[in-house]
Amino acid sequence: MSEQAFLELDRLTRIYAGTPAVHDLSLQVGEHEIVTLLGPSGCGKTTTLRIVAGFEQPDSGRVVLGGRDVTRVAPQKRGFGMVFQHYALFPHLSVGANVAFGLETAGLAKAEIGANVARALELVRLPGTEGRSVASLSGGQQQRVALARALAPEPQVLLLDEPLSNLDAALRERTRRELRALVKGIGITTIYVTHDQEEAFDLSDRIAVMRDGRLEQVGPAEELYHQPATEFVATFLGRAGQVEGVAASVRGDLVDCRLAEGVSWPALVPPSAQIEPGTPVRVLTRPEALTFAAHDAEGVLSGTVDETRFAGSVYVYTVTVEGGQLEIHARSAQARIGRRVGVRPLDPPRGVHAFVLSAAERV
Amino acid sequence: MLNRTRLLTAIVFALLLWAVVYPNLVVIGESVRGDGTVTVRHYAEFFGTPSELRALWSSAWISVATVLLSALIGVPLAFLFARYEFPGRRALGALAAMPVLLPPLVGVIAILFLYGESGIATRLVQVALGLNSPPWRLRGPGAILAVHAYSMYVYFYLFTLAGLARLDLAVLEAAASLGAGRLRTLTRVTLPLLTPALAGASLLTFMTSMASFSAPYVLGGGFRVMTTQIFNSKLQGETAMAMVETVMLAAVSLLVLWPLARWEGSRQYVAPGKGMAPLRVPLRSRWASVGVPSLAGLGVLLLVLPHLTLLLVSFVPDGTWTTQTLPPRYSLENYVELFAEARTFRPIVNSLLMASAATFIAVAIALAVGHLVVRRRVAGRRLLEGTLALPWALPGTVLAIALATTFSVDRPWTGRVVLVGTAWILVMAYVLRVLPLTGRAALAGFRQLDPSLEEAAASLGAGPWRTLRRITLPGLTPAIVAGASLAFVTGLGEFVASIVLYTHRTRPIAIEILSQLRDFDLGAAAAYGVLLMVLVAAAFMLGQRWIQAGKQAAD
Repeated sequence: MSEQAFLELDRLTRIYAGTPAVHDLSLQVGEHEIVTLLGPSGCGKTTTLRIVAGFEQPDSGRVVLGGRDVTRVAPQKRGFGMVFQHYALFPHLSVGANVAFGLETAGLAKAEIGANVARALELVRLPGTEGRSVASLSGGQQQRVALARALAPEPQVLLLDEPLSNLDAALRERTRRELRALVKGIGITTIYVTHDQEEAFDLSDRIAVMRDGRLEQVGPAEELYHQPATEFVATFLGRAGQVEGVAASVRGDLVDCRLAEGVSWPALVPPSAQIEPGTPVRVLTRPEALTFAAHDAEGVLSGTVDETRFAGSVYVYTVTVEGGQLEIHARSAQARIGRRVGVRPLDPPRGVHAFVLSAAERV
Repeated sequence: MLNRTRLLTAIVFALLLWAVVYPNLVVIGESVRGDGTVTVRHYAEFFGTPSELRALWSSAWISVATVLLSALIGVPLAFLFARYEFPGRRALGALAAMPVLLPPLVGVIAILFLYGESGIATRLVQVALGLNSPPWRLRGPGAILAVHAYSMYVYFYLFTLAGLARLDLAVLEAAASLGAGRLRTLTRVTLPLLTPALAGASLLTFMTSMASFSAPYVLGGGFRVMTTQIFNSKLQGETAMAMVETVMLAAVSLLVLWPLARWEGSRQYVAPGKGMAPLRVPLRSRWASVGVPSLAGLGVLLLVLPHLTLLLVSFVPDGTWTTQTLPPRYSLENYVELFAEARTFRPIVNSLLMASAATFIAVAIALAVGHLVVRRRVAGRRLLEGTLALPWALPGTVLAIALATTFSVDRPWTGRVVLVGTAWILVMAYVLRVLPLTGRAALAGFRQLDPSLEEAAASLGAGPWRTLRRITLPGLTPAIVAGASLAFVTGLGEFVASIVLYTHRTRPIAIEILSQLRDFDLGAAAAYGVLLMVLVAAAFMLGQRWIQAGKQAAD
């Protein structure tokens, strides 16, 4: 991120009943940028979003917008638009009145409000629905009205709390691409919360992966996928097989890992890793980075095919090897269940990542 | 199967038409009966008599004022207990609903003992200020309004609490994120979303107030409302006028009920998401954190004072409390007498038996109607549902007059037999009065019960009776128990219809309280009142227990 941070989350901590829901979290969002908070449920992503919106007060830390500390500014004075998980449309107001709500509180003139409402509804492809009741809309339409309502007062920041989680799968996929086009078209700075990895990949400029109230890694999707900073990021984004081994030699961010007698694969390690020859490691492998080989060839892990599955574009094989289980994608049918096979990386070290085993795991 | 459904439908329809609709038609018929012809003479007389019109007007304005006053107390109280956290909130919040434990007449006499001319509070103030006469007189419209507000603000309190609990926090946050401050959120979002709850409470309060008899009867003095007017006309043998007055009271009640109920129905919003109820805000400032609990405590003390007074007076032996501020002597004499003497024990047995019978019958009818309306979806189900709810719109006095008129002659071929003078006519009146309660509960219970449960039972080979016994009834238990305990409690303290229909042999507790009061045996009246209060509380608690136990068994 080259430009200066427009929205800054500065060392936010929020403690619930003694346990931190958000722990010392810092994140900078550039102007016009879409950043996604991604993590499993209970990781603190929604709490973080609510702190940014002003619905929760952090126990420590600041929220800074354009250089101004807004931590203690009430939500209604913050000028952040928000789309809620269940949309929170006002059930007693029509579609038009819902969208007009924020414009009225801003004190706009009647004619102006009407024009802005029409424009906002046009933007979400629901023109002319002002008079409809909220209850008469489908889930997807309600989601779009909620978006129009949040965007109509032209907020400085848009906050989205799992806005697509209530749509069915096909609609969700289409909507997220539309959503990105729309938000990028307006150029509004956006924080998006989701637990869905694909959604995060489709929508975001950058993704912030959260776990147990902490940030694990922040970066563009490719970076998170190809250079995961932690084992959690590597397993949470995309699929990964794993096998345990020992570091043999270290060359910068490359480590040769001995996985079996006479078998050693080069693997990538995060820059921060404390690793030296002899350190026990877990090697994670991307399914598309592995290929089958003769099981007695050099540098090949041998194992048994446990499961095969046809997934359309690829065949998926699960192979149990000594010290772990690997998943392999292949273009054509290659092996049957129970067969003894060999596995090696296609283009090492691509898609092979080593992480130091924790003290507890080494026993 | 189909034929059995038809048969059941026909029987239930016939029963409801005969018991609920027919007596009211008889009243209308009687009100236009001249010497063998149809006449509007009695109506002309009604509209030509200023005192009649005044009574009608009084009923209307007292009811509107009761609604406003009750809302003014109940709504802010609900907001206080729902939105703010302070020491003692839970206990005070529960105590705030205490007036529901007092059946109408008992509430009136409790307040009389406290604030009446020779009431404890009145005498305390008189002594403190060194006055020669009581500082106020608990008489007339002001007194009626005060008692109404005391006993009916609970509707607003409970309805608003429920409405606030159903509010989705996210909707309030959405308003804030769109720039709305507290006041704007309250007026544009919270209150509009509470309208169904507020309309429901207004409706209930208005109808209860229109039908109110105890307060105007005991405290009215020369001030007449329609219910007391009807009772008086009946007492003086002006039958035709009583009929016209009954029709007029029913007409005005229905006239208000109809549009309000429709409006309420059109404003039922379905919450879009699962939603999370808004959290309570702790009171932060020093003034608020001390002042609010103290004020709330003081307010609640005021609400519980009548209960305490009743309890105190129940220990006062007959004739010992004359001019003293506080009763000088206390004993268990009244309670011993209550149970020891057949004469004084009789009303207790009567009330328990008649309330139980009425509850049982009303639950049975409600279950049959619920089954036919929700499950079988029979033709005419809306009419069936409407008939079940009709007694709710008719003041107790109207029902009682209708029954007394219809079942005082022996003409079996017109569906009229002599029931007046028997306990059955009281049971019938109680059934009619509580039918809307059990009916509402049964319909709601059936609607919440997933029909696929019954289908699953059938697919596992269970016949209709087995399904009913093993699946349907257990599933309905919470709703039925809730409705039944309300019905039982209503029957137990029933006064309005009883005073028109009782005989010495069939007199219920409320009537006995009134006659003890007439004999100036305040202690005995209070002891009956306390007994009613305890029975009511026990019925509610047992009902709750039953529901809880059912829930735990289901988990």
